[in-house]
Amino acid sequence: MSTAQEYELLWAEKYRPRTLDEIVNQRDTVIRLRKFVEEKNMPHLLFAGPPGTGKTTAAHCLAHDLYGDNYRAYILELNASDERGIEVIRSKVKEFARSIVSGEVPFKIVLLDEADNMTPDAQQALRRLMELFTINTRFILIANYPSKIIEPIQSRCAVFRFTSLSKDDVVSRLKWIAEKEGVELEDEALEVIYELSEGDMRRAINVLQASSALGKVTVEYVYRVVGLAHPREVREMVKSALAGDFTGARGRLRELMISYGLSGLDVIKQVHREIFGAELKLPEELKVLIADYAGEIQYRLTEGSDDEIQLNAFLARLALLGKKFKVS
Amino acid sequence: MDKKLPWTIKYRPRSLSEVVDQESAKNELLSWIKQWLSGKPLDKKAVLLYGPAGCGKTSLVEALARDMGLELVEMNASDFRRREDIERIALASSLQRSLFGKGKVILLDEIDGLSGMADKGGAEAILQLIEGTKWPIIMTANNPWTHDLKPLRDLARMIEVRRLRNTDVVVALKKICGLEKIYCEDDALKVIADRSEGDLRSAINDLQAIGEAYGKVAVSLVEAMTAYRNREYAPFEALRNLFNSRYAWMARNALLQSNIDYEQMLLWINEHIPTYFSDPEEVWRAYEALSRADVYRGRIVKTGNWDLLTYVMDMAGPGVALSRKITKFHWVKFTRPERFDLVFKSRRARELRTAIAEAFSNRLLMSKRSFTAEVLPYLYIVFQNNPEYAAKISMAYGLTNEMISFLAGPRAREIMSYVKKYSRRS
Repeated sequence: MSTAQEYELLWAEKYRPRTLDEIVNQRDTVIRLRKFVEEKNMPHLLFAGPPGTGKTTAAHCLAHDLYGDNYRAYILELNASDERGIEVIRSKVKEFARSIVSGEVPFKIVLLDEADNMTPDAQQALRRLMELFTINTRFILIANYPSKIIEPIQSRCAVFRFTSLSKDDVVSRLKWIAEKEGVELEDEALEVIYELSEGDMRRAINVLQASSALGKVTVEYVYRVVGLAHPREVREMVKSALAGDFTGARGRLRELMISYGLSGLDVIKQVHREIFGAELKLPEELKVLIADYAGEIQYRLTEGSDDEIQLNAFLARLALLGKKFKVS
Repeated sequence: MDKKLPWTIKYRPRSLSEVVDQESAKNELLSWIKQWLSGKPLDKKAVLLYGPAGCGKTSLVEALARDMGLELVEMNASDFRRREDIERIALASSLQRSLFGKGKVILLDEIDGLSGMADKGGAEAILQLIEGTKWPIIMTANNPWTHDLKPLRDLARMIEVRRLRNTDVVVALKKICGLEKIYCEDDALKVIADRSEGDLRSAINDLQAIGEAYGKVAVSLVEAMTAYRNREYAPFEALRNLFNSRYAWMARNALLQSNIDYEQMLLWINEHIPTYFSDPEEVWRAYEALSRADVYRGRIVKTGNWDLLTYVMDMAGPGVALSRKITKFHWVKFTRPERFDLVFKSRRARELRTAIAEAFSNRLLMSKRSFTAEVLPYLYIVFQNNPEYAAKISMAYGLTNEMISFLAGPRAREIMSYVKKYSRRS
């Protein structure tokens, strides 16, 4: 880290590829996307794959290569998680599509991220939008789970599957960033980062940066960062519940949801990680029982309407199981 | 973390003259204790102070002790529930001379919290204590008229502490605003006082919640909060009927009778399942039923099919009530769901978090939601451990001082001074 400079970007932004040529992995995908740039034409696209594999980045690179540095004027960026309903999306797309396309590319791009968070009904409405404005707009839909995108949309899109990054891809990228930043580094630490981030490049880079901000990138520091990043409340919550203190566990849950701003889904996913993690030391049989109910609750979270109620049912179940298995 | 003192504690009266209203209770209490200390024989060795929550019973005793130069030996029923505890602590202190050679007064707070299975023998221990005591004993209770407290009523002098008048509440609130140097609208204080219904403690809590969050107390802010509360005002009876119902129809009726909307009611039930049930299996069965109710509610929202509402009611009413293994009426205190207050108090924090997410998410090409879950945790680490680095990030993303404080907690100052240094240079 140089001390001369007075601004520090998050490395996830600073080292994001800006053009298709800068993308080092997903080679087949990149080759096909380059064709679109050469022909200055493309169908609607659906990018699907796990988080941190470069879907959104690839979409921006594609747009950059099509329109040049000022590409963000030619695309409408929407995020299904943040937009309030299909009506808002419809009116934004309408307005955007109405303005005239100039330049040598005969269309503009609507980039819809986290599209799998839309309900099937909203997706039907989206499909009609795609048809309505197909003359001068193209949609790029981005999703973690392609199966959550309705068939009629899938069939209108060219589907690109993004695969999890290999260990070599992640480690060499991290090494490259570390060199550019002049970070003190233990090679083994990078492998640990890869393991902990499960092929999610953005997470890997965040861990790298936080670790270097703490002082250096060593195995010890990496574990420290990851430990700090998962609010300890999750583990403490599970512990209290298993020890029979339901109300205490519920208090921690509220802390997580209201103060940390985690969604119910975030919480149950982190709980799942804790159950099989090394810290809690649960009986093997109990792990399975908890996981089973966690799965049920995760499903109900999407079905129900109040996350806390669903997670309270989970915590109450933990308290009961804790008593049976005499966990304390 | 820097936790501020609740104003209800900070502004407790220091002497009887500061206690709001309650002249007759003050006088009666004073003459009783003077007689005690002068050694003249007494018909009653203990006092039972009773009156609604938040009207100043405990404060009255504390002020009395201070005025009379007595050491206050305080026991809170919610801390000492078992007979051994009461005997050990109270008996020991009632027989010994005070550590500092001062006289003593023993306070048994909230004795009506003692009733119920867990405290069998609690009342008995208090009776013993009163018989053997060498020092005056004062007890407090919200409701002294329950069966369990009968023997204590016979043994103690009953002194009533009355519900405060709204005008008294307003005066007390105004004084606090002055001391905290917070701007307040008179009408806003009236609204707070009205809804407190003579409960000064809750009124002060409301004042603090608004005053600390916004730095001023205006009618619009108060109404935003009280709108929340008015609707939920009276589900106590519905809850009591629901949890205690013996048959499915009773539980259903209890739900339908409640005068708040059913979504709010679900939150009250959510709060009080563990208040009413204590067996882990009952708690889980009740939550399982409530969880099913919530799933049906979710399906109503998604499909617009209101026919499903009846199943919400089935699960939230009978489903929850009949989770218990044995039917036995018991009385528990149903309080306002904590969650409402948490949500209200953390409003500013949530606004800040959203603002931070906005500053970053667009440039990181992610949604605010994913930013909060995936990137924010690492920002906390950097901001709480490396002020210089955090300052550079703050400058790159244009974070305000308030955002920096939110992320860094106690180390925010160091970061801000770096920011100042760098911005001067450039």
